[in-house]
Amino acid sequence: MKFLFVLRQTFNNLWRERTPVLATILTIFIALTILIALFELSWVLYNQLYELKRNLVVEVYLKPSVPADEAEQVREKLKAYRTIERIRYISKATAADIFEEEFGENIMDILDENPLPTSFEIRLKSSFNHPEYLSVFKKQVEAMPEVDEVHYRHSVIEKLENVTEAVVMAGIFILIILVLAMNLLIRNTIKLSVYARQRQIMIMKILGSGNLLIRMPFILEGAFEGLVGGIFSAAGLIVAHRFLASTFPLLNFPARVYQLLWINTVILGIVIGLLTSAASTGHFINKVYSKK
Amino acid sequence: MIQFSHVTVNYGYVPGALKDINLQLRDGDFTLILGPTGSGKSTLLRLIYMDILPSGGVVKVGKWSSYRITPRQINLLRRNIGVVFQDFKLIENMSVFDNVSLPLVIEGYRRKYVKRVVNTLLDEVGLLHCGDQRASTLSLGEKQRVAIARAMTRNPFIVIADEPTGNLDREASENVLSLLQRIHGNGTSVLMATHDYELIKDTPYKRIYMENGQVLPPDRTMNIGKQRIRLLTKQE
Ligand SMILES: Nc1ncnc2c1ncn2[C@@H]1O[C@H](COP(=O)(O)OP(=O)(O)OP(=O)(O)O)[C@@H](O)[C@H]1O
Ligand SMILES: [Mg+2]
Repeated sequence: MKFLFVLRQTFNNLWRERTPVLATILTIFIALTILIALFELSWVLYNQLYELKRNLVVEVYLKPSVPADEAEQVREKLKAYRTIERIRYISKATAADIFEEEFGENIMDILDENPLPTSFEIRLKSSFNHPEYLSVFKKQVEAMPEVDEVHYRHSVIEKLENVTEAVVMAGIFILIILVLAMNLLIRNTIKLSVYARQRQIMIMKILGSGNLLIRMPFILEGAFEGLVGGIFSAAGLIVAHRFLASTFPLLNFPARVYQLLWINTVILGIVIGLLTSAASTGHFINKVYSKK
Repeated sequence: MIQFSHVTVNYGYVPGALKDINLQLRDGDFTLILGPTGSGKSTLLRLIYMDILPSGGVVKVGKWSSYRITPRQINLLRRNIGVVFQDFKLIENMSVFDNVSLPLVIEGYRRKYVKRVVNTLLDEVGLLHCGDQRASTLSLGEKQRVAIARAMTRNPFIVIADEPTGNLDREASENVLSLLQRIHGNGTSVLMATHDYELIKDTPYKRIYMENGQVLPPDRTMNIGKQRIRLLTKQE
């Protein structure tokens, strides 16, 4: 009977304040959608970044004069680096083969001798693939007498890293604003409902009602707004993905990620609604008490 | 038993709503509280269901004492007291049934039990046929009978009625009084504050006469009380 009472009260509240409630649900819907969209964008960027970093190759070119057995010593020296994941030795001959594969001509036919230097293709452990370490690594290796030049292409990664960082920062900024906006609107509907029920609250108090029972309908009101906003947002995302996935293959997440995404959208809605109303209901009810 | 020892009440910075009240109310009594407006009748009653706590002194209600009582205990106390007010304090947009069942819902009783108790009580106040109606559609006399039914749901040891007939016509007032008398007849204490001297003038109940935040001494209460009652009734 208690449970039924609370539910009825909750839905009475929602119905009575339906206009502000609708506005609140709409705001939660928009806010959550933007939030999740930003999250997806950062997710895609991070994935791209990860892929790029994983495939980053550092090339170490030896001086042309260095003979093969000395190259072996360089390899030993490089092996001492804990930061290196894998080293591939590319002899002059292999380099020529690669050249032929890429350009379709044998370098020996163009020039009389093989001018390509011996080199190493190095993959660093992924956590060391950042610009600071790379430049240190380059300096150290270039200091070896046998080494001519260390080469890597990092500018793309750096750019992408900057973009990702900007997106995440913007996301956090927007998140704060959106959470504040949701907070404000949910609080507003709770306030309206509490004031509309002032008399009832006083009466229940005189009849010996506990605080939880008095607060519950208002708390659930906020949770409901969050829930519906969350469901709308999740539905919107699913629909949007149907349309976008064919155009932007990057947005083609695995099914499991999808599921997590929309379930979390709904949960996030409920949690925001619940926390906001739980935090503000007591405040407004106390205001009512102190007015008597 | 209800006991007031040296109780004073100040509202905010306004002193002396009640001044040094000493009073004992025995279980099972029907007691009337009389006195001009502003004399402190409502204040005295509010102390009993601890809507306010005394600024000085102690109020003891059954096993509870205002000196050391937690908010949770106040709720328990209120569940053992029935309250009836001049303005009924019904929830107007709820049905009569829901209004009467509210105290039981608050305590989490099961639907079946609630239905049985509420219907029995509505029957006793002659409003069983109004259960589904909104409280706002009732006449004033009917509203007060609903309020009395609500006060009785939890079988309280005392019913406190603060000018229960203040808004009612003669017939409805007599109806309310006779309901309260019936409740008293079943062993429940009744404590009723009233202005309506005409209504209670032939009742045999104990009277407490208040004036200016004080209870007049018991030996003079009856006399002075009666004189004043006559005086006031004539004036009206
Ligand atoms: N909430 C309040 N704040 C300030 N003063 C109050 C408050 N309630 C009552 N008073 C004052 O306390 C005194 C006693 O008031 P109380 O309501 O107990 O009188 P009463 O005998 O019930 O009067 P009435 O017959 O008009 O109901 C009065 O002087 C009143 O003005
Ligand atoms: Mg009064």
